[in-house]
Amino acid sequence: MSSATINGERKNGGTSRGLRVLVIEDAPADAEIEIAELRRNGFEVYADVVDTADRVRERLARTQYDVILADYNLPNFRGMDALDILRQKNLNIPVILVTGALSSEIAVDCVKQGATDYVLKDHLARLSASVRRALEETRLREERARVQRQLADKVEELARSNTDLEQFAYVASHDLQEPLRMVSAYTQLLAERYRSKLDETADRYIGYAVEGATRMQALLEDLLAFSRVGRNGESRALSDANIAVNEAIKNLTIALKEQGVIVTCTPLPTVPADRFQLVQLFQNLIGNAIKFRGKAIPRITVSAERQGEEWVFSVMDNGIGVAPEHRDLIFKIFQRLHTRTEYPGNGVGLAICKKIVEQHGGRIWVDSELGQGSNFRFTFPAAAADRADKKEQAHELYAQNSAGR
Amino acid sequence: MNSTHKILLVDDNPADANLTCEVLATSERPAQVNTVEDGEQALEFLHRNGKYAEASRPDLIILDLNLPRKDGRAVLAEVKADPELNELPVVIFTTSHSPRDIARCYELGANSYVSKPGNLGQFFSAVRSIENFWFGFASLPD
Repeated sequence: MSSATINGERKNGGTSRGLRVLVIEDAPADAEIEIAELRRNGFEVYADVVDTADRVRERLARTQYDVILADYNLPNFRGMDALDILRQKNLNIPVILVTGALSSEIAVDCVKQGATDYVLKDHLARLSASVRRALEETRLREERARVQRQLADKVEELARSNTDLEQFAYVASHDLQEPLRMVSAYTQLLAERYRSKLDETADRYIGYAVEGATRMQALLEDLLAFSRVGRNGESRALSDANIAVNEAIKNLTIALKEQGVIVTCTPLPTVPADRFQLVQLFQNLIGNAIKFRGKAIPRITVSAERQGEEWVFSVMDNGIGVAPEHRDLIFKIFQRLHTRTEYPGNGVGLAICKKIVEQHGGRIWVDSELGQGSNFRFTFPAAAADRADKKEQAHELYAQNSAGR
Repeated sequence: MNSTHKILLVDDNPADANLTCEVLATSERPAQVNTVEDGEQALEFLHRNGKYAEASRPDLIILDLNLPRKDGRAVLAEVKADPELNELPVVIFTTSHSPRDIARCYELGANSYVSKPGNLGQFFSAVRSIENFWFGFASLPD
């Protein structure tokens, strides 16, 4: 079959290598007309014409075609068979049925089965537009697939680097503990056994070394706790937030009593969350509210409200508040806004809260002004059953309303 | 049992072994502590092989987990699988807090699992408690 180029222009066909067409047709004259029609419309056509399934397979193995034009019904081949062959070979080439006569029912059926389009032989003027559209659709589909592949790769890469990071934090803090314990133990031993046997400066230096090692140990323990959030948070069973808050309050009893804190808790929902992590979340937030209390008697209110498909929880206090420029900063690990003498701690509590919430598909933020108290808010997706319930209730309400009318 | 009790301490970190020995040395009950630095030596000692031909059987093994060559888990497994040795109490004394290590060691037949505390005072009282429990309260096989 001719591969000559009638039209030298390369503006059509989508690619600079021209348009590669496989024509499945037993009437050479018909094939010629189809090719001529395409060339007349500016396509630089390279075409092969075949009329049996074997030849189709043979051709597909050798050439990357841009489009296939198939007669619907040949003595040795049905146009739709081309689709099966393409599927078997996992090829994604648009097939346009070019046929003498076709009932609209059969035509629609062919498109349903995967043909891109059909063109009647006595309406060949449509052919070029049809090919152009098929090429454009293929290009878009390939582009979409490429973007999706890239996205999937990125997600996988991100997940891997996250796991690596967690693994690193866990192993590092684990392996660092032993040598650190040596430093800590022996400086403490020095401090105990050689106090005032050297001079004052030596005592002070040893004191710094002990303090540094002790603080480092606390940091490592916190880092371990932080990395463990990612390792143990698999459970998505339903947890009752009321029980979690009570548990958190119980764990904080001493601090709550010492400061005379008043905690108010409105009824809370049950959410799909790891029970222990939920306790830790409330405990860190309530603990922070106690730690960063203002001059007034500390008041903490825990509540939740339903917003669409999620629950928005709130832990509100009347403490020292957070300046607007620090509202994001406070959720970063090891981020502190105060010296250790003002407020103890390593700046891990809120980072753990953020990790817990985000791991359950929620968000956490703070509404606050300096000196005006803080309202820590976070979301949890509503339980699936819970969502259905709400819809049913809404339905019932609606039914009652309409019945009343 | 009034005689000197014998402890085999398996720890590759001389700093930790030293702290442990200090506490054991100050106990009111006289103790003879033999220290080895890896798992292979520990088993040689227990089987009285080679240079340990004269070694006497300990009453208690204090075993670290992360050891060079043969690690503590392997030593524990071999001791507990050996009919000659399996009645010896083994206390795991290690830096690891890992729930997996803890579960694995009890599964292998460890008699208790103690994580080495980071704080010196707590480290001392942990060793003292081990010594006090096994030689002050627990009854041991002859």
